[in-house]
Amino acid sequence: MSVPPRPIDKKIRVTVVAADGLSKRDVFRLPDPFAVVTVDAEQTHTTSVIKKTLNPYWNESFDITVKESSVIAVQIFDQRKFKRRDQGFLGVVNVRVADVLDLELDSHQMMTLDLKKSNDNLVVHGKLVVYLSTNINQPITNPGPGTTAGVTTGMADLSIETGSTAGSSSTVGLQAGANGGGLSRTPSSHATEASAATATASPDTDHPQPDAVSRPSSTPPSNPPTNPPSISQQSPQPAPPSTPPAQNGRNFDPSVDQYGPLPAGWERRIDPLGRTYYVDHNTRTTTWNRPSASAAVNTSAQDNETNAARDQHSRRILVDDVLEATSPSNRAEAPPPAATPPSGPTQMSAGSATTAGTGSLPNGWEERYTPEGRPYYVDHNTRTTTWVDPRRQTIIRVMGPNGQGSVQPQTISQLGPLPSGWEMRLTSTARVYFVDHNTKTTTWDDPRLPSTLDSNVPQYKRDFRRKLIYFRSQPAMRAQPGNCQIKVRRNHIFEDSYAEIMRQTPNDLKKRLMIKFDGEDGLDYGGLSREFFFLLSHEMFNPFYCLFEYSAHDNYTLQINPASGVNPEHLNYFKFIGRCLGLGIFHRRFLDAYFIVSFYKMILKKKVTLADLESVDTELHRGLTWMLDNDITDVIDETFTTTEDRFGEMVTVELKPGGEEVPVTEENKKEYVELVVEYRIVRRVKEQFDAFMSGFSELIPLELVTVFDERELELLIGGMSEIDVDDWTKYTDYRGYEQSDEVIQWFWKCVRSWPPERKSRLLQFATGTSRIPVNGFKDLQGSDGPRRFTIEKSGDPSQLPKSHTCFNRIDLPPYKDYASLEYKLTLAVEETVGFGQE
Amino acid sequence: MALRRITRELNDLGRDPPSSCSAGPTGENMFQWQATIMGPGDSPYSGGVFFLSITFPTDYPFKPPKVSFTTKIYHPNINANGSICLDILRDQWSPALTISKVLLSICSMLTDPNPDDPLVPDIAHLYKTDRARYEATAREWTRKYAM
Repeated sequence: MSVPPRPIDKKIRVTVVAADGLSKRDVFRLPDPFAVVTVDAEQTHTTSVIKKTLNPYWNESFDITVKESSVIAVQIFDQRKFKRRDQGFLGVVNVRVADVLDLELDSHQMMTLDLKKSNDNLVVHGKLVVYLSTNINQPITNPGPGTTAGVTTGMADLSIETGSTAGSSSTVGLQAGANGGGLSRTPSSHATEASAATATASPDTDHPQPDAVSRPSSTPPSNPPTNPPSISQQSPQPAPPSTPPAQNGRNFDPSVDQYGPLPAGWERRIDPLGRTYYVDHNTRTTTWNRPSASAAVNTSAQDNETNAARDQHSRRILVDDVLEATSPSNRAEAPPPAATPPSGPTQMSAGSATTAGTGSLPNGWEERYTPEGRPYYVDHNTRTTTWVDPRRQTIIRVMGPNGQGSVQPQTISQLGPLPSGWEMRLTSTARVYFVDHNTKTTTWDDPRLPSTLDSNVPQYKRDFRRKLIYFRSQPAMRAQPGNCQIKVRRNHIFEDSYAEIMRQTPNDLKKRLMIKFDGEDGLDYGGLSREFFFLLSHEMFNPFYCLFEYSAHDNYTLQINPASGVNPEHLNYFKFIGRCLGLGIFHRRFLDAYFIVSFYKMILKKKVTLADLESVDTELHRGLTWMLDNDITDVIDETFTTTEDRFGEMVTVELKPGGEEVPVTEENKKEYVELVVEYRIVRRVKEQFDAFMSGFSELIPLELVTVFDERELELLIGGMSEIDVDDWTKYTDYRGYEQSDEVIQWFWKCVRSWPPERKSRLLQFATGTSRIPVNGFKDLQGSDGPRRFTIEKSGDPSQLPKSHTCFNRIDLPPYKDYASLEYKLTLAVEETVGFGQE
Repeated sequence: MALRRITRELNDLGRDPPSSCSAGPTGENMFQWQATIMGPGDSPYSGGVFFLSITFPTDYPFKPPKVSFTTKIYHPNINANGSICLDILRDQWSPALTISKVLLSICSMLTDPNPDDPLVPDIAHLYKTDRARYEATAREWTRKYAM
């Protein structure tokens, strides 16, 4: 082989394969990214524009002429913003040829590079996959506009300022990107051409525009006249199908996975926890499930999922109703009327509240059906709706003032004012009691309720029902006169709700809520606002908007996304979300949203503990626990700081003032652990959380909501449902026990005997949330993937059961008899909030 | 922060290198290392040099490092992506462990695979039922990819 004289000019091929995780600068829009390739600020080439994605896949190749000292710059721009000052700059990478290729040999290199900032310090993140090869024998088969002359000359202006700074691998492209001068002239022509070419059919070619994966050859890009040799070498023969650069399995191709290519418009992504999910750019939705090739199947799968979620959501009911329905005096005579889901096989098959009662409805009542066919009842007298058939509604005997029993249906909220001289107060442990100033006595019993009603209630310290009565009866929680109209378009529910809810004063929002969906008839007697909160929860908590993200624990409890600042408006949105949560609680609606336990604790101003970290970061929890349990001398070499990866940049944060100078020792390690936990859970998202609370507290006074504990607050926000114990039993695993063991039999007997709220509480105790997966207990998730509910034989019969929420597991000691199991299990579930769990 | 501990481990590795392994940062980023392991003499990997990539989490040593083979290797506990199934890299990690100890554990795993907790069931099955064929394949892969 003859060695050409130095410095050699050599033609190589650069393939801009894809970018991953570009920064998202708008809440409601994704960029339309395209890439610009320059060599020493010359030989400009542009890729086609990929619409609406943070993970564009171009796979477009260009032949360029380089020396060893050349620097190849690839800049990414958002075509929609190319006219703006920053030109929608999304990042740049610079590659010095000598660093990656040996021009004298046949060599090639697939590189995944972090995108770098420009001078103007706009946040940039994501990676760019670029392939360089000395092999240029294959004809280029780019789909896009390539580099038509007009664009090329126009784009060439971009880099004039940089001159030939070959050799410095630092900022060749950056200066071009930051320099507004020569740039603003070109973009319009480029923009139109580029977008036209990415439309379904390319007008420039006779070839139909196929999908990204298997494109046949189209017009080869012509190079600018400054570079004639490259044209002369262009192969004129009919082109064989393009062979995309060899992907060694570890390089990330977002449109292909081990089962082959994804359907058009779908993209595979990895979330920060390393879990794969799929983005459907056609419908702008995401799913954990791999899409099928048939769009119809996907749509129907998605619809099924949404419908199943909606179905489950509609099975949940307001805690007020459940508590009322299960008050002990009713239980003896009638099946619990309200909460029974139609599928709940544990109930008498025909005993469901929604089964038609007998006789005609009371005056002013009407029976209606939800779109899903579930009957509900409208009381036009009070303009309220309920799932409960009024003909079956439980009757509470209210003792009249003259001592004779008058019979009338009551709900807790309708109990009315206390008798004269009575007052409702809270103990220091937030337990409600009543003061009778007439007799100067106090009692736990609500004087408005007949005393027999409460005689069977076990006297636990915690009494959710009483707390609710207290909460609902406070003047601050009374609706204001008038209506609060909220009109939204179903397909723009987030934007419209934001505008509608933020323009009203907090006082307006306390008026009777009237939701109207644009273009739909319907009077909001409850059904519409129920649907409204359901749809809105699915939008505003969608991790797509970067405001909330799923916790590490599983894939459905939410936490504030610490990186939400990528959206400059994020604090306004957090305030909005706070208002929405307050609105739901105030108007007795519930959201389809479940947060990590520490989020509820933060609302209640409770101190977060190491145990709360487990659901957020299991590994760190384990490491910190180890640190507390072991001597750390010569093992832990830390100061009072923590390191964070912010878009690829390692940032050190002091855990306390001057923390960088304070070493962590055996003596102060407890403080260190506390500060790490505090930072991870609270401080990191403080701005966002404060904004959230500013909206929330406009509707719900904090001193009122703090009567609840964190589990009760979850039920208040998310509602609660009758849990299908048969399904639960069916998908339970045992360790050390057999299903037939007496203790296990007792366990389920005990659970079945419990009212719905305590069942929810057991679920919270064991899994950290009262939410049941849409498809039932078989889909329960643990921190490391699917984890069924598990009962493990562990502990001494003198101890309480323990739980490991991260693995959905309960450690159940082998109790000797039913009574002690019932006692210990009840105590564990009722009393161990914030401690006793691992 | 994690950097102090990582720097200390690097110094310790230089002062007292473990036999048949080496490790160090690949570039300026101290959180990204490369390691090599020489195939143990009493194993079918003998004579091979295996490269591994090590990524330290920002919370190191509270969290385990992410270690994977970049050289292809035929082993019941290492899959085609180079992922390693080793308890101390997962739930049995302890901040008292170091990269040096991790690499030694991986070395001993090369000599004594754990077919009862396999990452690649086919290889584990072969290991249990036809040891000779497993060793032959492992040797061939070593010759092909690691020499």
